[in-house]
Amino acid sequence: MSRKWVDRAVLALFIGMAVLLYASTASYPGIAKTTSANYVRFLAVFIGGLSAVQLGYSLLKDRSTDPLRLTGHLPRFLGLLAALAGFAVLFEPLGFFVSAGIFIPLVARMLGYRRKRVIFLTTAGVLIFVWLVFIKLLGVHLPGITF
Amino acid sequence: MLEYLSIVFTFQSLITILIGTVAGVAIGGMPGLTATMAVGLLVPFTYTMDPTAGLMLLGGIYCGAMYGGSIPAILLNTPGTPAAVATAIEGYPMSRQGRGGLALKVSVIASFCGGTFSAFVLLMFAPFLARQALAFGPAETFLLALMGLAGIISIADENTSLIKALIAGVLGMVIAIIGTDDMSGSLRYTMGLVELVDGIDFMPALIGLFSMIQMLELAGQRQHRIDTSALEVKQKSEPLPPGIAKPIALGSGTGTVIGILPGEGATIAAFISYNISKRISKMKELFGKGNPEGIAAAEAGNNGCVGGSLVPTITLGIPGNSVAAALMGAFIIHGMIPGPDLFTEYADRTYPFILSLFVANGVFLIVGLAFAPYLARIALVPPALMVPVVSAFAVLGSYALNNSVFDVYLMIAFALGGLVLKKLGYSLEALILGLILGPIAEGGFTQGMIIGHGSPLIFIESPIAKAMWGLIALLLIPPLYSYWKHVHKPRREQI
Repeated sequence: MSRKWVDRAVLALFIGMAVLLYASTASYPGIAKTTSANYVRFLAVFIGGLSAVQLGYSLLKDRSTDPLRLTGHLPRFLGLLAALAGFAVLFEPLGFFVSAGIFIPLVARMLGYRRKRVIFLTTAGVLIFVWLVFIKLLGVHLPGITF
Repeated sequence: MLEYLSIVFTFQSLITILIGTVAGVAIGGMPGLTATMAVGLLVPFTYTMDPTAGLMLLGGIYCGAMYGGSIPAILLNTPGTPAAVATAIEGYPMSRQGRGGLALKVSVIASFCGGTFSAFVLLMFAPFLARQALAFGPAETFLLALMGLAGIISIADENTSLIKALIAGVLGMVIAIIGTDDMSGSLRYTMGLVELVDGIDFMPALIGLFSMIQMLELAGQRQHRIDTSALEVKQKSEPLPPGIAKPIALGSGTGTVIGILPGEGATIAAFISYNISKRISKMKELFGKGNPEGIAAAEAGNNGCVGGSLVPTITLGIPGNSVAAALMGAFIIHGMIPGPDLFTEYADRTYPFILSLFVANGVFLIVGLAFAPYLARIALVPPALMVPVVSAFAVLGSYALNNSVFDVYLMIAFALGGLVLKKLGYSLEALILGLILGPIAEGGFTQGMIIGHGSPLIFIESPIAKAMWGLIALLLIPPLYSYWKHVHKPRREQI
């Protein structure tokens, strides 16, 4: 998708958000009607106005056709996102140590690192570091198995 | 002051500063990792630490990372942090000529001088500024937040348009209104999610926008080889060149002043110091080919930013840059709200923290002089190993503050959304500034409206308010002028 069109879509989204934000202030209760509501209206007008100006500028002047490139390597980018989501989902049921023990080697392999011994030592090093510093020294509570 | 010095010079404090500074140098030395990322990641973990020790650790990381970026910049032509790009321009040619030892020496001494000078300004100037803040009412607080937001305009550069920087700042303020309305106690825009009742904590946002985005970008990068040829060149030992004090003094002053201005970061400070030094140098022709004066100005400039950026942060609650914003988060989670209280009620924490910055500068001076050539190898850590490790810490850091997996999801959402915005030319620094200043602005605005019985005149009536409008105008005019010049340049050139 072209960068220009994504940009315009995002600006249109901001304008829509500004309209909804402004409209929502009508239902503010009590004292908020004359205080918080005014502040929110100010923000809505500001972001809506600026987005409209930028959108107008883009429609009139922007003739570029370059695509929006979020990443140079889509499979790795999406793979990291998926692994992060998986890490977050597993974080509470499995705990930090088990989920990080899966996450770190998996992502390292996915990103093309092949030296198993280094991956193992790095993962073990991180887990030992977290256990020593965060659990033992700082007393941070982490979900899952405790040692 | 002796009492505060005695807190700094305990074994535990010195070890904490040492660990923080060395870790900072190492993090700064890894391309792709920045001071903001490191401080942002570690803030949640300091929650359970003694507040003074936690702040000292983060201060050490800030100082160390600012210097650390220069090592791979000089030896590998790979700036560890964006603020070290100007250093690479002069440092790497010197390394190729076998003068890398001198470049490293100039870099660490200039960094030390810049950092120490700015810490001194912070120590002298911050309590004075904080006392002035006692006279501030809600209207002035609102104007203070506006002043911070005026800094957004100066964030706009060739990658981020002025309007988009402003949109990003206001978007941050819009995100900040989510949660409970202080005026009525009613819930706003929480979409029925209990986790949003207290609003969006800025730490997951900060970690997502400044740590996770970098990892997503690194993961998606094509592999590129780092040129290690200079590491094989025999580096000779040379004394400091005469006249080096001048660019160091210039960089220290420039960096500190730029650091104090809200929104301006170490990268800008380094480049401005470098450019001024180039303009006034007697050896202009050597710039770009390996001039130690350029390294001195740039490094003194980016380290000068450290103390400077903390002046508005701890006195007025307006972060000087994104690292200072992360540090402000550390103050807040320890219940230390920036302002005059930091120099009265919490003086036993704030002054030791400021004094620890002097020690941190001393630590990296020793580390740099003794180990810099060896530290360059940190830059050779493969991204494929760095990405999962930093990502794991990002997840851990987002979770640890509130023990909430929801914050981890928020962090991922901010990273993804932030990446799209970044690629479209929006400023993420402006977004985080808006997120931090939003509640301050709203509190000042709503209370001001109550005191002024609904009249906005309260925001211009007092002499302080008038002076603040003047300052806001002063902050806006130079960047608006340079932006105007930038926009009209091609047209003039065509004519």
